[in-house]
Amino acid sequence: MKPLFALTALTLLMTLSACTTTTVDEYRENSTALTLKSGERVVVLGRRHYADYETEPDFIDCIGNTLKADKKISVIPEKKFTDLLYPWFEPRTAPLGLKRLAKMLNEPLIAQRFREQGLHYMIWVDGSTETTDRDGSVSCAVAPGGGGCFGFATWEKTSTYEAIIWDLQKLKESGRVKVEAKGSSYMVAIILPIPIVAQVQDQACDGIGQQLRTFFKGNRANEAS
Amino acid sequence: MPSIKVMTNLTSSARSLIALSFTVTSLLLSACATRVEVSGSFPSALTHKLPLRTVVVFDEAFANHKFESTEGPEVSIAVGQIQVELFTGLAANLFQHSVTATSMPTQPKADLILKPAVEDVQISMPNESQLKVFEVWIKYNLQVFEASGEPVADWIMTAYGKTPTRFLKSNTEALQQASMVAMRDAGAHFITGFARVPEVQQWLYHRSTNTLSATNSTRL
Repeated sequence: MKPLFALTALTLLMTLSACTTTTVDEYRENSTALTLKSGERVVVLGRRHYADYETEPDFIDCIGNTLKADKKISVIPEKKFTDLLYPWFEPRTAPLGLKRLAKMLNEPLIAQRFREQGLHYMIWVDGSTETTDRDGSVSCAVAPGGGGCFGFATWEKTSTYEAIIWDLQKLKESGRVKVEAKGSSYMVAIILPIPIVAQVQDQACDGIGQQLRTFFKGNRANEAS
Repeated sequence: MPSIKVMTNLTSSARSLIALSFTVTSLLLSACATRVEVSGSFPSALTHKLPLRTVVVFDEAFANHKFESTEGPEVSIAVGQIQVELFTGLAANLFQHSVTATSMPTQPKADLILKPAVEDVQISMPNESQLKVFEVWIKYNLQVFEASGEPVADWIMTAYGKTPTRFLKSNTEALQQASMVAMRDAGAHFITGFARVPEVQQWLYHRSTNTLSATNSTRL
């Protein structure tokens, strides 16, 4: 009876998933959908010039994958783009505003590379995921007869990101999406530590990626209906 | 006599135990040390070539440069080989013709000689800075000479790279990434800044006016 009870409790704990709350805000320049002609592409880039944090490369890849999930939007991977345009999109040299980008595009070599890649939209993502609160503790010990852990710990993570879409042909901003995701994770340890982790960054990626998709023609709910 | 034998046996056991303890401790300590041999590759730079022939000199100190820190946890980062690869590629991208050498050439068939040197390397780990990033700074002194050996400029060029901390990511991996970001930053600084260094700018200006006047006198 006892092993059955323990197994049930363990299964129950494993199936429990930590909760995450996601808030997505958007701003559009106008109601017109963004269009991508055949061969035109989008690039998603992370801001890396701040001293105390940087937008995680895997988060940028995640947004890119969400955008191209339905194969309607073609996305250039961030690493490929920064290598092709090296050294003009490094943290030291990347344009922070559209005026600086316009000046950069006056350089024929850079403008030609943009044309070759069929770039129409550039999406800049700025933000990071931080651990905002932490409580409790888990202790582990090993002795000749065996070992184990005991305790309870909880931590909260907050993801805050903003994505800005630049139209590279009109050289103007097309829209913004802001996402904030919060979630608490837990670790229960009775001999074995059982983590129940909130997928905060994944939720933020999903929220921002899905919302960005709605900006593009063919992905808008009202057009589909 | 038997008591002396027992004592000797005990002493040899204690010695073995101490030796074992030392071995285990040194193994544990070496496991805590972070040793990075920076490796990777760099993309070609998208830039116009300057109409110059250069020799880039990588002396032994530069080609084998290793940063070592024994304050706190032991850290060593070998950047020599990767920075030779970086500057070889950068010079090939920025100048019309470029060769490398291991010592200062005498009267080479070149317009300029470049000799990079590492002035300083600094690192910062999350346990020291309380920030959730690993950081690497490299300060270069890029010495520029005319073919005659006459100095043109001493360009102090700083490079910075950082990488965020990751769950289960080792210090070695994080410092390798931060070093590569710093190297790319050095490359960006070199490509975008070389012709803007005041002394180099002045040298290029004099060279172009001299070439122009020489062409005009030939025409006359």
